[in-house]
Amino acid sequence: MIEAQDLRAGYGDGADILNGISLTAGRKELVTILGPNGCGKSTLLKTIAGYLKPRSGGVKMHGKDVSTVPIHEKVRHHRVGYVPQTDNVFRSLTVAENLRLGARGLDRATTARRYDALMEQYPVLASKQGRKASALSGGERQILSLARALIAEPEILLLDEPSAGLSPLMLHEVFDAIAGIRDSQGMCIVMVEQNAFEALGVADRAYVLSLGQVAIHAPARDLLADPAMRALYLGGHVA
Amino acid sequence: MVQFIFDTLFRAADLALIAVALSAVYSLIRFPNVALVQYAVVGAFVGMALQQQGVPIVPAVLLASLLVGGIAQVFNAVIFQRLLRLDPAIALIGSLALSMVLSAGFLLGFGPAAQRFSVQVAPATRVFGVRVTEMQVLTGGLTVAILIAFALLLFRTPLGREMRAVSTNPVLAAATGVNTARVTGLVVFLSGVIAALGGAMLALRGSVSIDMGTNMLLPVFAAAILGGLGNAFGAVFGAIVIAAAETLITNLNFGPIVGQDHVFLPASYAPAASFALLVAVLLFRPRGIFVSEVTRV
Repeated sequence: MIEAQDLRAGYGDGADILNGISLTAGRKELVTILGPNGCGKSTLLKTIAGYLKPRSGGVKMHGKDVSTVPIHEKVRHHRVGYVPQTDNVFRSLTVAENLRLGARGLDRATTARRYDALMEQYPVLASKQGRKASALSGGERQILSLARALIAEPEILLLDEPSAGLSPLMLHEVFDAIAGIRDSQGMCIVMVEQNAFEALGVADRAYVLSLGQVAIHAPARDLLADPAMRALYLGGHVA
Repeated sequence: MVQFIFDTLFRAADLALIAVALSAVYSLIRFPNVALVQYAVVGAFVGMALQQQGVPIVPAVLLASLLVGGIAQVFNAVIFQRLLRLDPAIALIGSLALSMVLSAGFLLGFGPAAQRFSVQVAPATRVFGVRVTEMQVLTGGLTVAILIAFALLLFRTPLGREMRAVSTNPVLAAATGVNTARVTGLVVFLSGVIAALGGAMLALRGSVSIDMGTNMLLPVFAAAILGGLGNAFGAVFGAIVIAAAETLITNLNFGPIVGQDHVFLPASYAPAASFALLVAVLLFRPRGIFVSEVTRV
């Protein structure tokens, strides 16, 4: 579903942040991108999403080259959902308005059906439909931003650090929700995460970045089981 | 008291449409476009010019407003988008410069004398003991109707939801599939249309001259800032507060304070009242009265 080939990208006239990264993610697969701060995780996701144009290399979605397609067109025409790391809800809009904004382009009946399904799926939102998003807690906002991306039934979901700023309790809830989406809807999910252990616990495969390159690409369970890997990238101890 | 209320409401009507346009466009582009007050004057002058060419008054005003909306978009694309890439402060200076150029253009095209729409003037009638003209009631009603229509667009339509989304968080709006450039262009167009309608309403109530924009600049800004710059309907409230302050200062008897029977300030002191109020409010609510978003982390 997603094929990124030899991506090089950066901001403005600055140096390349991504130095030739290739990545794939398929249907019903949760791929996580890990690595230390400044390694290019979020830049990679922004390049795949369409916020940044690659300086070289390319991105394909559903087999089509979408390297230069901007984010709003990817969302509308290529069935992509994107959840940014921070500021991921419209604070001055109500919960219901946030969700309906995600449903733009859908007909009224489909919107109503999807809206009701999401309310059932995420009861924490159901009781706060009329409240401004600014009044939600961090975890509730994260759930709302996920639900907003899901209402349009995307086939590809791009998540930028969904655990950022969450309490441990909410963190589990959010990761369970993400795994549930993959399992129940067969979605292709690419998730950038700082919280490596939690991410590997739900992911199928992982890319570990270092200095804008892929340092390791392995199944998530192998990374979790490898003590050297834990010491190097995940903060664990070498046995 | 009734006279005070009427005077305040009519003065608020003078300011409200232009202040709403200023605030709406600020909410998306994040710089206060000084030239908007001159767009109001363009609307009035073009409406008059069309009427002089034989176009009936209603289509003349509507056509002029649409034309100003288009002009606003052109100025935004050609001047302000470029200046904004440098700095919002530079864009502000650019809008001031454009405002002066437009003012000079009015002098060249329409001359220094005040001009009026050609409308039948009916004698004033008394409502609750207050003299009001038919045109005051008509334009006041139209101003309210335009504000209601804009509110319905903003709060009851998918397009309005997109406009509010882009104003709240343009990056996230794009990630939700909203074409932010299209929405911004539309709001710039609408701001031009609303400002032009505001100018036409002003001209219908009285007359329009080349310095109308300059005279309106400060009270309109004060209204928009009081309401919370970027909050379109806060600007309506701001317009009412400024109008009330201006009306009060010129109708208040300062005689007892200075030991005389009657001392009234001349109308030229009205702007001082609005600015005293503005400074007082900003000291306690620097982002305006209506910025009170609840935040939880």
